[in-house]
Formats: sequence, C-alpha cells, structure tokens
Amino acid sequence: MNRLSILIISMLAPLTTLADWEVNMSRGVSPTANAAYDLHMLIFYITVVIGIVVFGVMFYSIYHHRKSKGAKPASFHESTTVEVIWTVIPFVILVGMAIPATKTLIMMEDTRNSEITVKVTGYQWMWKYDYVEDDVSFFSKLADSSNEARQLGSKIDVNKVDNYLLNVDNEMVLPTNTKVRILLTASDVIHAWWVPEITGKKDAIPGYINELWVDIKEPGVYRGQCTELCGKDHGFMPIVVRAVPKQEYTKWVSLNQKNRVADKSK
Amino acid sequence: MSVNIDHLKEEHHQPSGLMRWITTTNHKDIGSLYLWFSLLMFFVGGLMALVIRAELFQPGLQFVVPGFFNQMTTMHALIMIFGAVMPAFVGLANWQLPMMIGAPDMALPRLNNWSFWILPFAFTMLLSTLFFESGGPAAGWTLYPPLSLQGGNSMPFVIFSLHLLGASSILGAINVIATILNMRAPGMTLMKMPIFVWTWLITAFLLIASMPVLAGAITMLLTDRFYGTSFFTAAGGGDPVLFQHIFWFFGHPEVYILILPAFGIVSTIIPAFSRKKLFGYDSMVYATASIALLSFIVWAHHMFTVGMPLAGEIFFMFTTMLIAVPTGVKVFNWVATMWKGSMTFETPMLFALAFIILFTIGGFSGLMLAITPADFQYHDTYFVVAHFHYVLVPGAVFAIIAAVYYWLPKWTGKMYNETLGKIHFWMTTIFVNITFFPMHFVGLAGMPRRIPDYAVQFTDFNMIASVGAFGFGLSQLLFVYILFLTLRQPVTAADKSWEGAEGLEWTLPSPAPYHSFDTPPKVD
Amino acid sequence: MTGIKSTITKLSLAVVAMYGFSYALVPIYDTFCEITGLNGKTNEIAYVANDIKEDNRFVTVKFISNVANSAPLYFEPSVSEMTVQVGKPYNTHYVMKNNSSKQLHTTASPSVTPGKHAEYFKKIECFCFNQQTINAGEVKDLGIQFIIDNELPNDSGDIVLSYTMFDISNNIKETNKL
Repeated sequence: MNRLSILIISMLAPLTTLADWEVNMSRGVSPTANAAYDLHMLIFYITVVIGIVVFGVMFYSIYHHRKSKGAKPASFHESTTVEVIWTVIPFVILVGMAIPATKTLIMMEDTRNSEITVKVTGYQWMWKYDYVEDDVSFFSKLADSSNEARQLGSKIDVNKVDNYLLNVDNEMVLPTNTKVRILLTASDVIHAWWVPEITGKKDAIPGYINELWVDIKEPGVYRGQCTELCGKDHGFMPIVVRAVPKQEYTKWVSLNQKNRVADKSK
Repeated sequence: MSVNIDHLKEEHHQPSGLMRWITTTNHKDIGSLYLWFSLLMFFVGGLMALVIRAELFQPGLQFVVPGFFNQMTTMHALIMIFGAVMPAFVGLANWQLPMMIGAPDMALPRLNNWSFWILPFAFTMLLSTLFFESGGPAAGWTLYPPLSLQGGNSMPFVIFSLHLLGASSILGAINVIATILNMRAPGMTLMKMPIFVWTWLITAFLLIASMPVLAGAITMLLTDRFYGTSFFTAAGGGDPVLFQHIFWFFGHPEVYILILPAFGIVSTIIPAFSRKKLFGYDSMVYATASIALLSFIVWAHHMFTVGMPLAGEIFFMFTTMLIAVPTGVKVFNWVATMWKGSMTFETPMLFALAFIILFTIGGFSGLMLAITPADFQYHDTYFVVAHFHYVLVPGAVFAIIAAVYYWLPKWTGKMYNETLGKIHFWMTTIFVNITFFPMHFVGLAGMPRRIPDYAVQFTDFNMIASVGAFGFGLSQLLFVYILFLTLRQPVTAADKSWEGAEGLEWTLPSPAPYHSFDTPPKVD
Repeated sequence: MTGIKSTITKLSLAVVAMYGFSYALVPIYDTFCEITGLNGKTNEIAYVANDIKEDNRFVTVKFISNVANSAPLYFEPSVSEMTVQVGKPYNTHYVMKNNSSKQLHTTASPSVTPGKHAEYFKKIECFCFNQQTINAGEVKDLGIQFIIDNELPNDSGDIVLSYTMFDISNNIKETNKL
C-alpha cells in the first residue's frame, strides 16, 4: 500500500546519486529534454499533493470510523453540492496543467530553422545515419563486445563489458549548440529512435518520414535505445550520440565524407 | 463451488458428471465454469510472467533466446487480458446479475453455454502455437504491422483464436444487455439497480462497440499477409499507422472493459463493510457512463509518438486528461462512503481498500502519461508497464479476488478462513508493490519495454521486481489453497453472510439454490 | 420474450455495423489524411495547375530517398535540395539502379514533412504515380514535376520530400524475424 511505497522511496532517495538506483529521468541537455523534465516534475508534484490529501482522508477514516472503535454509521449518502465541487476543482487543476503542456508541445514540434539535417533509418537490427547536407552516411550497430556477451550462455560477465548494450561501432556525431533536424524512417518494420537526455522519442515508420529536432547544449556522449518492438533483436540496437563543438564536428565530417554506403543486405 | 443438484436429477433428468458441465445452461454453473477457467488462465499467464521476470532478474541472457522472450511477453498479455480478467468478470456477471435483478437466469441460457465453451477451444489453439516450429506470436499483444506480418505459421491461428474470443465476448455482452434490460423484477427501475449491474450494463455496450472493430483490424492483418491486400504497407498505398488507429479504437474501450466491472465490485463492497449506503449512487452511474463515452475519443494517446499532427496530439491530450475527472469523482465517492461509516476489515474490504489506493496510484501515472510532451519520454518504457500493471493487478485483479471472497459464502454456503484470507491479502499487496513500483524508476531512467536484456544500470530495480513477482506468484498458491479448504467446510453461511450486505442475492439462502427467483421478487 | 428478441436484433445489427465501421475507417483515414495532409500524404493523381500564380516567397525543398527491406536497388535524388519560388513549376529527378541480376518491379511511396504542409506540395507529374519495371543492371531517371501552392502559410520552414522505393516483385514474403 502507499505507506510501503513511501518507505521504499525514502529509503532509496539518498542513493539517487548512484546510477544504479536512478529513480527519475535526467533533466537532459537540450531544450526539449529540459521541457519534458520540467513538465514531468510539475505533474508529478501535483499528483503527490492530491495523493497525500486523498489517502490522508482515507487513512483518517480507516482509523476513526471503525466499528471496533464504536463508530456508528451515519446515513448521508448524496450531496449535489459536493459532487459539483469535486468535479470542478479537478477540472480546473487539469486546465492549469494543460496550458504549459500545450505550450511545450508546440515548441517541440517546431522543426523550422535547423542548421543541419540527419536522416535516421531503422533497420532490423541497426540504425543508418545519412547527413543530408554534409554527405556522410554509415550504419551503426551494437558493438561486438556487447554482442558477444549477450548471447545466451556466453558466460561473459556483462558488468565488465564497456557500456554493455549501449555501445555501437560507429557513433553519431553532432555539433553542440546547433539546431539539428532529425528525419526518421525505417526500412522494414516500425522502430523508434530515443536518446532520453537529448530529446523525446519518435517512431521510425517504413514508407513514411517523421521528424524531430535537437539542440544539444553540452558536449558529451549520450546513449539511447530503439523503443518500438521490432523483432527478436529489438533490445540490441542502441544509439550513441557524441556531441562535440562545431569545429570538431566539421573536422569529423570532412574525414567521413563521401563515405557513402549502399544499402547492405544482411 | 457447484450447486448440489441431486434432487433435480430425478425431477428434470439433469445430466451429472462431465455431461452436466458440458451441457449446462444454468447461470450459476456457467459462472463457475468461467471463474475456474479464469483462475487456470491466471496461473498460465502468471507462469509466463515468471519466465519474463526470471530472465530479467539479471542483465545478460540466462534462460531464453530473445525470440522466445518476445513470445512470452505477447502471450502473457493475451492470456491475462482475454483468458483471465475478461472471463473472470463474465463469470461474476453470470453468477450475480440474475440474482441481483431478481431474474431466474440469463436471457439466453444456451448462448451462454456456447459463449463459455468457445474459450477452452480458442485458448488451446492459441497456446498450441508456442509449440510450432516457428513459435507463437511474438509481435506484442498489440500485433503492430509490419512486424506482425513477418510472423511464422502461428499467425492465422492467433487471429482465428482472437476472432473466437471476440465472438465469445460479444455473445456474452448481448446476453448481459438482454438480461438487464428485459428481466428485472417489477419495481426495479434502472436507477434502483445495484451498481454492479450498472457497470456491467455499460461494459457490455463497450464490448458491442469495440470488439467488432478488433475483428476488422485482425482480418485486415490476415488479408494483408495472405490475400494480397495492403491496408498497412506503404508500397500498396497503405499505412502501418492505420492499424494502430483501428486497433486502439478497440483497445482503449477494451481497457475500460477491464476496469468498469471492478469499479462496480468496489462500489458494492465498500458500502457493505462501511455499513453505509454508497455515496452518490446517481453520480456514480453518470461517472461510469461518462468514462465509457469518453473512452471512444482518447485512443491515440497510445500512439503519441507516431508522428501525428500537432492538432491531433493536442486533442487527444485534452480528452485523455478529461477522463481523469469522472474517475476522480468515483474515488471521492468511495471515500465519502467510508467517511463516518462503521468499518470492519474482512478480506473483501481489505482488497477493496487496496484497490482504491493502488488503482489511484496507477491513475496518477496515467495522468502523467496523458501529457503528450512528457509522454515522448515515457512511451514504450517501463513507466508505461508500471502504469498499466498498477491499474490491472491491484486494480482489476484485486477487485476480482475481493468479489470472490465476498460472494463465496453465497455461492457455496461456506465461509473461507478469515485469518488465511488476511495473510493472502497482505502477502499479495506487499509483493505486488515490490514487483511493480520499481518499474516506474527504471522506466524513467530509460529502460525500454519488451527487451529481454538491459544495460547494467537497471539491474537493482529489476532484481527487486523479479523477487516481488515470484513472491506474488507464490502468494496466489495460498489463494488456491484457501479456495479448496473452503470447499471442504460444512455449510454454515447465513443468508445474509455479511452484516452490511445489501441486495436481492442476500435474501436467498446460502448456498443459493440451483434455480432462484423462478417467480420474481417484490422490489420497492 | 419479444423484449429480449428486440434487444438481440438491435445489438446484432450494432455488432455488424461496428465491424463495417472498422473497414470504413480505411477510406475515412485516407480522406482525412488527404484533406489535412496528415502523415505527409500528397496527391496521388496528377495535379493540374490552373489557378496558381507565382508569388514572391521562396521555400527550400530537400529531397531524400529510402529503399525498403534492403532491396538490391540504388535509389538517390539527383539533387539533395532546391530553393524554389512558390507558385512556379519545377522539375527534378531521382536515379534508380537495379543492382541485382533479375528484372524487378518497383513502386515508390512519397512522404512529406512537416505533414501539415504536405497538402501544399503538389505533384504535376511523378514517377510515384505508376509502378516501374527495371531490368538487371539498368539505370533509370525517375522524374517529378512539382509546384508549391500559394496557400502555403507564410511561416513555413523547409519542406522535405521523401520517397521510399519498394521491390514488389514477389508480394508475399515469409521471413521469420520474430
């Protein structure tokens, strides 16, 4: 029951500094990730308050209105006034939530004025990245070290594998402080591209094109996974984005340009 | 739980033994069949859950290959939804509805028998696909194309079995509506019906409107795969997203089908053990009806990440948030029923109270999921898995268990052991939280759904969840023990087995006679 | 008894109607998408440009390509972007090569993003209106002629036109990838 949950959370709260006991999403390093986090926390706090009030009343009642304590049952069983009140108040709270939510959504769906465009294609079971203006193109799949370790009965200790299941052979490199438009599609079945610290996810649908935008404010390596069931190796096609300052990105582009890869069959 | 019918055998040449159960048209017998079947399926689905949790206990693959793991997640959902929860509610409807409205049986007793017997046949077919060389279905219970079109030989059998299950539900719903609308005792107007009857009436309408749409969607999958149509492939001018729209147009009302009868059960048990009438009966009826109507205009909140236009995302965000209002109204009415009541805490009441608290927690995560820009981070992660398990397990399943404890004395004339019942309750409740609460954390931390293996930072909470799952499973063995122990007791239950119980069924002897209300009772 | 019969009749009709409704959702979805441009759907039959006039706005159109299911095809746009004047027709083409040793039948599926601007991207001629037959090793130029409608809102950004090329030589595939 709720007491137990609170107990668990409070036991674990001091440990949030340890990655293994992560209890919340990261605030992220881009405006869209930040906005999602802020909304998430707002709604969460509101529901906590509502929960405390409602469960508080319940627990009070369970304690005081017990037959074993001699409580005699009252006979009231309806009140239009009260029904109106507890319909209108929640409705008003919801309107209050809907306003920032709508603003955030509009901001997230505005992909105009991007500086570079990258087309991301989902395959069973890897990703392909095509930098449209910069003419760079490559596949990105699960790193060999993880792939060996994850086989059934491999006897390899996965805790010793570098970034187990979140490492790839070719990383996606992006410049920081640049609005990047990501176009999403797939070659075979529906996949979804998700790097939580840099933005929310979107589906990659065969035959159709979707888009989202990112603007990574801090250099670093950000890891994500496919998030739409796409067959047996759905859990084994991660995404790694290395965000670097613009100059480094330009250098990387020139090293990798004209490296176009024709579609390969597996 | 079966009524002794020896006296009937002489009078009416009633068959006995196996033939009785195969040919019965009696609502009590059929209710028992549905309930036992559902209990069996609950364990089958539970076993699959344990395979899943065993594999997810640690990172790395220890027990199964990924393809089989996907079969387990797919089948676990199909079995639990269509084999455990829905048949359990139909079983409760069968046992209770005629008695509660003062009718002798359901409107269509023979159809009732067929509706049940379709189920074992359909589930045998469905489960048999696990033994095919190409394995069982593994595209998730949501069967999204193009992935589901890549399936092996299991696909036509899965679709056929789903058609059968849908037919069973539709026939059952027709029966329920026909019974409630036409066979109430004189004097029982709609607004005097027990609230459980109301919730089942509304649920039946949801079934009528939504199950045929599933039938259409899966038929389109079948013809896309075998007959050259291209509803869901861009090559032929189709769209995989179209399937999602059709599926979730069914799928969202479906989840309300899985919870409305539970609301009715809680609305029955809380007043009984508070010794106080349900607060706001009219309001509860209107709230249930509003939830049912709204359930048809929220479906795309299951698809926020497909790339819908902004207007669509905003519309579905608003309607989904709106559904929190009537749901909240119901919670407040339950608390107001408890307030200044005179409560005792027998096992049914414990499960009902846990329902209110834990279902509400599931409702809170649901509200968070409704917020589209936040959902872009929650979608397809364990945060969603946590949400729906909270509303389905300490939600629907707890209500079913509560109902069984509550009505068992009426069905059998025997009282279950209250101490054991309380132990079952505490073990179940503690383990359900140990299992599912950590899933909120790993989902927020970035763990996707439907993966057999995970990055090492998710280990600790997964371990906790797996331990909880095994504990929860073991606790249900205690429930089976309690049931069998009860059946061996002598008949001691009073007609009105609970001090605060209200309703026509409590005017009948315990156990209720094989045929009851052959003449309708007087209702004032 | 007749009350029950009447209920059953009405409910059975409702069931049949809802089954039919699920099929009706198919054209409803298509019409909805065409009217609103949802999901990036563009016109599927040739657009006849009668009332369009050139105006002073310019839009960047980006061209991208995809090959579905790793078919043995090379399929790329000849130019990756064009800055076009609204209301004026333009030509461009994609290049496709059959890298296999068999004749293939192909069809292309277009998609435009942002979806809300798809309805303003009018194709006067497009290789996507028809299927193609391409011999082993053959190279084909696949042309399109398009025009941006004056109704395009003023604050639109770039428009991306994407084609996915499908090999439809054998329609039924039974792969086991689950």
